[in-house]
Amino acid sequence: MSTLDEGPLVARLRTGTEALLSPTTETDRERRRIAALALPFVALAVFGAVVPLVVMFRISVAEEYLTATAGVQFDAWVTLLASILAFVPGVGSAVDADPVYGEVIWNSLWFGAVTTVASVALGIVIAHALEKYDLPGEGLLVTLISFPISLPGIVAAFMMIVWFGKTGLLTNVFVWLGGEASLFPAVTSNEVKLTGRPSGTTIAVFGLFLGYLYSMVPRATFLLRGAYAEVNTDAEAAARALGATPWQTFRYVTLPQIRPGIVGAVILTFRTALAIFGTVLVLKALSVVTFRFDQILKVGYDLPTASALAGLFFFFTVGFTFLSLRFTSAEVTG
Amino acid sequence: MPERVTLDGVTKRFGDTLAVDDVSVTVEPGETLGLVGPSGCGKTTTLRTVAGFETPSEGAVEFGGQEVTNAPPEARDVGLVFQSYALFDNMTVRENVEFGLKMRSLPKVERAERATDLLELLDIGELADRDPTTLSGGQQQRVGLARALAIEPRVLLLDEPMTGLDAKLKSRLQREIGSLLEDLDVTALYVTHDQAEAMVMCDRIAVMNDGTIEQVGTPDEVYERPANDFVADFVGTSNRLAATARDGRLDFGHATAPAPNGDDGEVTVVVRPEAFELGGGPFSATVRERFYLGEHVRAVAELPDGESLTLRFDPTEAPAAGEEVSLALDTDRVHVLPEP
Amino acid sequence: MTDAPDRPADAETGTDLPAGPADSDAETDPRTDGGLPAMDGAVPTRDPGAFSQLATALGRPLVVGTVLVTVVFLILPVLATFAASFAHEWAGVLPTFVRDGEFLTLVNWRQALGLTQTDLGAQRGLGGFWTVFGVPIPVTIGFSMLLALGGVVINLLVGVPIAYAVTRYDFYGRGWLNTFAVLPVVPGIILGVAFLKTYSDLPSAVGLMIGYSLLKAPYMVLAVQSSFESMDLRQLEESARSLGASWPRTFLTVVVPNAKTGIVAGAIVCWTLAAAEFNFSYIVYSSGPKPFSLFLFENISNNPFLQAAAAISVYFAIVVVVTALLQAVGQRGFALGGVR
Repeated sequence: MSTLDEGPLVARLRTGTEALLSPTTETDRERRRIAALALPFVALAVFGAVVPLVVMFRISVAEEYLTATAGVQFDAWVTLLASILAFVPGVGSAVDADPVYGEVIWNSLWFGAVTTVASVALGIVIAHALEKYDLPGEGLLVTLISFPISLPGIVAAFMMIVWFGKTGLLTNVFVWLGGEASLFPAVTSNEVKLTGRPSGTTIAVFGLFLGYLYSMVPRATFLLRGAYAEVNTDAEAAARALGATPWQTFRYVTLPQIRPGIVGAVILTFRTALAIFGTVLVLKALSVVTFRFDQILKVGYDLPTASALAGLFFFFTVGFTFLSLRFTSAEVTG
Repeated sequence: MPERVTLDGVTKRFGDTLAVDDVSVTVEPGETLGLVGPSGCGKTTTLRTVAGFETPSEGAVEFGGQEVTNAPPEARDVGLVFQSYALFDNMTVRENVEFGLKMRSLPKVERAERATDLLELLDIGELADRDPTTLSGGQQQRVGLARALAIEPRVLLLDEPMTGLDAKLKSRLQREIGSLLEDLDVTALYVTHDQAEAMVMCDRIAVMNDGTIEQVGTPDEVYERPANDFVADFVGTSNRLAATARDGRLDFGHATAPAPNGDDGEVTVVVRPEAFELGGGPFSATVRERFYLGEHVRAVAELPDGESLTLRFDPTEAPAAGEEVSLALDTDRVHVLPEP
Repeated sequence: MTDAPDRPADAETGTDLPAGPADSDAETDPRTDGGLPAMDGAVPTRDPGAFSQLATALGRPLVVGTVLVTVVFLILPVLATFAASFAHEWAGVLPTFVRDGEFLTLVNWRQALGLTQTDLGAQRGLGGFWTVFGVPIPVTIGFSMLLALGGVVINLLVGVPIAYAVTRYDFYGRGWLNTFAVLPVVPGIILGVAFLKTYSDLPSAVGLMIGYSLLKAPYMVLAVQSSFESMDLRQLEESARSLGASWPRTFLTVVVPNAKTGIVAGAIVCWTLAAAEFNFSYIVYSSGPKPFSLFLFENISNNPFLQAAAAISVYFAIVVVVTALLQAVGQRGFALGGVR
């Protein structure tokens, strides 16, 4: 093929690259600026995230991966998908596979959903109070509520031990009431041992639920606070003047205005919930995807299966995020 | 040094929208040309093309005969004054004014001297060491102007510089800056949506609509002899009446008047409110609404054929609502447009 | 595009109200045609209903109560942990603060920080000491601070430009780029495994720095973006450039200094979060000084409760200092624009 009959796309790329490298007009110079500004981020993302994720995906379908990656096979994905099918009620009994992955995915989803709903609901209440009520020491309240954002999940878990551990602040109250001694039977003393499977008892899962809330409520609150800041207060005043009670004003004027913010907060908080790891690692109440991922690698180093699980997780979060941003009124940026 | 600025067939497209459509206009050296038009008419895009922030899709921009169409903004020596002032909050007033000189590597002493002179000229010498965020809108705009003038721009571009200010301050600044631009002998392009402001500030006015220039002329030319319907409507208040021109007379159906100029046929007659005088005919109209505006009374009256007239009276002789009035027409102040 | 909407105004007074209907079809006064509903008292008096009345009575106490319970839930364990770190023992309802006449004790802190020579923590957890100006700093803590600082430097180089690109310019794919920049793509633990497998030869420290910068980039971008959004970036950039500053110079001397509050706040928050990042560190760390969060994890999972409390309190102390710093730059706690 001679250079004369290069396709229109190639020609466009050529002129585009030329314009980018030695621009002559202000429009071209602006394009070069945008490219220069985006370059460091794109480079970091490609090096730090895109390449590793591609490599990981490759491993999930590789025959050989320990020293060099080679061959193609889908055992890990088959195992994973069979396990998911085996977990589905009704269909499951017909599939001859261990439903463990189906179970951890289901755990991640339902637990993430429940904690998200609770966190966003609490977030609305707190954001409402911060924005609409003239509370004393509001600045201090904001600082205090945002404090847990700085804490890693393992510390959030420790905070739960302080509340509900063997000599926890509330455990003593429960004991006095004649109830369960500790929310974390797996946590025998106030020390956590890195052994054993998740206890899965209702009471322990409730403790984990609170541990998730500890991390998620502050995040949800400040996402919603952004939505509250944009509420048209004149419309609320007009509603009150027309005779609406505070509740009616919230229901008919405020809520419709913050709805996009709520949807956005739900999406982001749910993502946060799915990604939590440290809290589960310490409290060990429920086997979720991140926890199982760690277990697969720790016990037997089954990298292909772990990679397949990670791939599934990645596709799910990316798909979920983009679809939900695309098809809802969610406001996430700005 | 003032230079001639020429736009030659400048067209700017944003995707499918045509923002500026084949605009050719010249700003003479030392002149202030007003670019007026309604919101979205392309006047700001035109200004940004002169400044160099937009590359025209077609056409050329020349400063003093030298083509600058693709020159970067920083190489053009244009002074820009914005509606939002756009002062650098991380610098003092003085540092703001010195900024352009610093970019030109002028020695520190000279920079300081020039800045002092300009701040004095704009009557804000005492604000030199203040933080711009602590200044009032009018003061900030003076700093913005001093900063733009400091580089002795080849052309000064002002984009709605008065829009954020209150009415009183605005009229004072208009007078001050208008005479300053006159004295400084600087070529300026003044963009505003406010035609009254353009009339005060500018030597000539270019009226823009839908990306094209409808008319260029001195304020009185544009006001008294609008080139078309749009200009007549946009600049000032006007009555546009349909008439037939025949044998040196205008026939309105219910009244006739001498025609100021030639061609026979169907025409639109542009009549400013003040061209009507109370009493003496040949028009008769019924006053429907009457607004007392202090300096004068504005009235809306209905002609026999149902058309409305906007009129303007001295408060002492203004008729009441509902009154039937007889109106004479000052034919010297009437402009006839051929029917499009 | 920046043109303010307005209507043609009267040439002499600048008054544009009430501009009379100069065109034809002027409606007659609507007040005279009697089409309005009569004010005859047909609207019933207000009846909010039982639920609404209950909500009015109880709503506010309930909301305030919820806020208080939440704050207690979030903060009380922090205070209890801090207090307990000075206790001799916590076996009963409350920690034992006084024993053998000694009020409070520093023994937990000493053990956690490895200051007790005989303690295993020194060898196991902290990897010895660096002495800076005669002050011993546990290597784990000092090293983590440095790694986090490295992450912040990468974040600055990456986050400030991308925040500027997506806030200031409009370009194809801007929305998606923005979404990618403010949303962490994968959880730290998965990224960690993928990273470790791909770059197995990279020293732990380098890997950790890159991971920190990637995982905490959203905080930097959001903080800087909120600063940028409060500025008129375009006019700021354009006035600097019209004054002769090249674009890179404009970016460095005008844009960045104007956004310094957001940049500083973002850097502080990113640094703190990176210093305590656990999920990625847990996977990627293999050799060299141990990241601080792993030291915390060892304390939480293996060491006596009170010693763990002391170790965590070290981090609390850091956060408190950082919060005070944030306050000084006008930021309340860790609540950046929209926290992810």
